[in-house]
Amino acid sequence: MMRIDTSGLDPFAPFTSASGDVCGDVLSVPSFELPRTTDFDGFQKKSVQMVKPAKGTTTLAFIFKDRVIVAADSRASMGRYICAKYVFHFGILTGTMIAGWDETGPGLYYVDSEGGRLKGKRFSVGSGSPYAYGVLDDGYRYNMSVEEAGELGRRAIYHATFRDAASGGVASVYHVGPNGWQKLSGDDVGDLHYKYYPVIAAPVEQEMSEAPSA
Amino acid sequence: MSIFEYNGSAVVAMVGKNCFAIASDRRLGVNLQTIATDFQRIHKIHPKLYIGLSGLATDVQTLSQKLAFRHKLYVLREERDMRPETFASLVSALLYEKRFGPYLCMPVIAGLGDDNVPFICTMDCLGAKELAKDFVVSGTASESLYGACESMFKADMEPDELFETISQALLASVDRDCLSGWGGHVLLVTPTEVHEKTLKGRMD
Repeated sequence: MMRIDTSGLDPFAPFTSASGDVCGDVLSVPSFELPRTTDFDGFQKKSVQMVKPAKGTTTLAFIFKDRVIVAADSRASMGRYICAKYVFHFGILTGTMIAGWDETGPGLYYVDSEGGRLKGKRFSVGSGSPYAYGVLDDGYRYNMSVEEAGELGRRAIYHATFRDAASGGVASVYHVGPNGWQKLSGDDVGDLHYKYYPVIAAPVEQEMSEAPSA
Repeated sequence: MSIFEYNGSAVVAMVGKNCFAIASDRRLGVNLQTIATDFQRIHKIHPKLYIGLSGLATDVQTLSQKLAFRHKLYVLREERDMRPETFASLVSALLYEKRFGPYLCMPVIAGLGDDNVPFICTMDCLGAKELAKDFVVSGTASESLYGACESMFKADMEPDELFETISQALLASVDRDCLSGWGGHVLLVTPTEVHEKTLKGRMD
């Protein structure tokens, strides 16, 4: 059985490995079993693909005037099939973005599956993020009211759902402040489209009517 | 994603009582990005014959232009419009000519034949024709469309009911497909008139 030596990851392990009795050392060295496979590289690649977070979505968060706004869509897609129209994307708080409030004020961090960690004031994550960034960056001002900030988050998510096929459903907007979090709105983006771009009845220039039968 | 899913599409045609309806979505995308929401997939060959093309958008446009050309030549020579059955054979032959480098389109043909009997058929990208008496579907949303049509379809529907049915089937199906939707386009054809309507759908 092949084992992989993980003593390099242990900060308290001695620098030099004990030489001599090999059998005894194999059992004491921190390690885990490798799977029995003829193609270990291929297996490793597939494992990473399996646990990769679903990126077909749009989420965003931004800090403004001592508060944090967090917004997300609700679509879960497997390839091109929409497997869930309404998924509670609260996973953003534990997965890719961490937004909160403590004694130092509002905090926003971006964490990715490769171990990258960034502190910042504006983030958007997911396949629809470029579209959300476009609206978010254009409309962002530090001195906004909570309603304006919520509307900005909602519009950014709506625009991402319009352009990105993998985003859609409901645009949920949350607000994190000194008194905890509060849901500001949860609007169906199908309805939001017609609210932002109402269908104006085209003026009828000529209308054909039934000719009276003689 | 396969090349048939590059642009995203949904086309469906249904037969009613002495009438037929053909409908499509309106999205043109490039993988996940939506480029346009007014893309035309259904083309008129003559007032009683329509072809809806799903699949790669560039081939949709090229094929519809080629077929319009072939029909115009036919009209000049025969001095009459093509019958739907004949047109279906023409499309099938045109597609099979490119057997080893095909047009990446799956056509849906719908028309009123002699004595105004409705005719619908579909084919794969190599021209394998499949006639149907009730409905035909095509595109990235085809599996959802099959389910929706199978449950909603009834034989011998009047034009108004047929329009309602095909619209609901289309909108319900594209709402389960990321790559199609963003509105709908329905044509209802009876022996005396053609109703063309745009559907207000979910734009996500």
